[in-house]
Amino acid sequence: MTCRDLFERLSEYVDGELSQEICEEIQRHMEGCEPCVAFAKTLKKTAELCRRLPSRPIPPEVAADLRGVLVTHLSKRK
Amino acid sequence: MPPENEHTLIEASRAGDSAAVEELVRSYQGRVYGFAMRMCRNAEDAKDILQETFLGMIRSIREFRGESKFTTWLYRIASNACLKKRRRGVFEPEPEQELSLDDLMPRAGPDGRKPEIADWSEDAERALLRGELSQQMEAAIDRLPPEVKIVLVLRDVEGFSAEETAEMLKLSVPAVKSRLHRARVFVRRELSGYFQDQRKS
Repeated sequence: MTCRDLFERLSEYVDGELSQEICEEIQRHMEGCEPCVAFAKTLKKTAELCRRLPSRPIPPEVAADLRGVLVTHLSKRK
Repeated sequence: MPPENEHTLIEASRAGDSAAVEELVRSYQGRVYGFAMRMCRNAEDAKDILQETFLGMIRSIREFRGESKFTTWLYRIASNACLKKRRRGVFEPEPEQELSLDDLMPRAGPDGRKPEIADWSEDAERALLRGELSQQMEAAIDRLPPEVKIVLVLRDVEGFSAEETAEMLKLSVPAVKSRLHRARVFVRRELSGYFQDQRKS
């Protein structure tokens, strides 16, 4: 396995989507390849950091406007 | 998290119960707004997407037969609304041609040596604690083309599976995986640049 082969499959690797056989090949490659280890660790960290991004809460006036639009729509439907 | 009585609410909404519709909307409006805001970065557009999503939900809830999860179905409407906000120009490259892995792969040195890659995963934890990282990440995610960005947002930010994301975007699972990988590699590269600058200063 080359660095390029590993690089292509790294997201599937960190997501645990690859067969055991391919995982073992990747691990064997990484034992002798420091850049690939660092790349894999930082790619995994990138995905983890996304999951921890704070979300913008809905402002009360936006929720009120939405409710207004939907109530009008629902009353027309009847 | 879906409301505990989600199934009952959906059934009542399908039967035309307005109170159930409103409760269903209240359960999901915060999450859909957060998603819309992240996708379009503009409060006015996010508000439009939010309204379009729930009007769409009301119009087509009778067609929802529970073959997929309700959230997946709802996010499909929301994703369409987000992508419609930014239609791709005729001369722009297709998403599959953007961010090619060859361009994103770290280059070997001129003497053929392996590239030097810094492991900044520990730095990231510290930057996160200082509250500096979120802004950098949001900015990096914003630089992605929309069709690639939406995959990263659905998979890594919202936490949907590759199969759910494929269903929402009407893509194949391999296409989702390919876009996600390129998106992550791109954001990783942008963050690497940030941490490199941090180390220098």
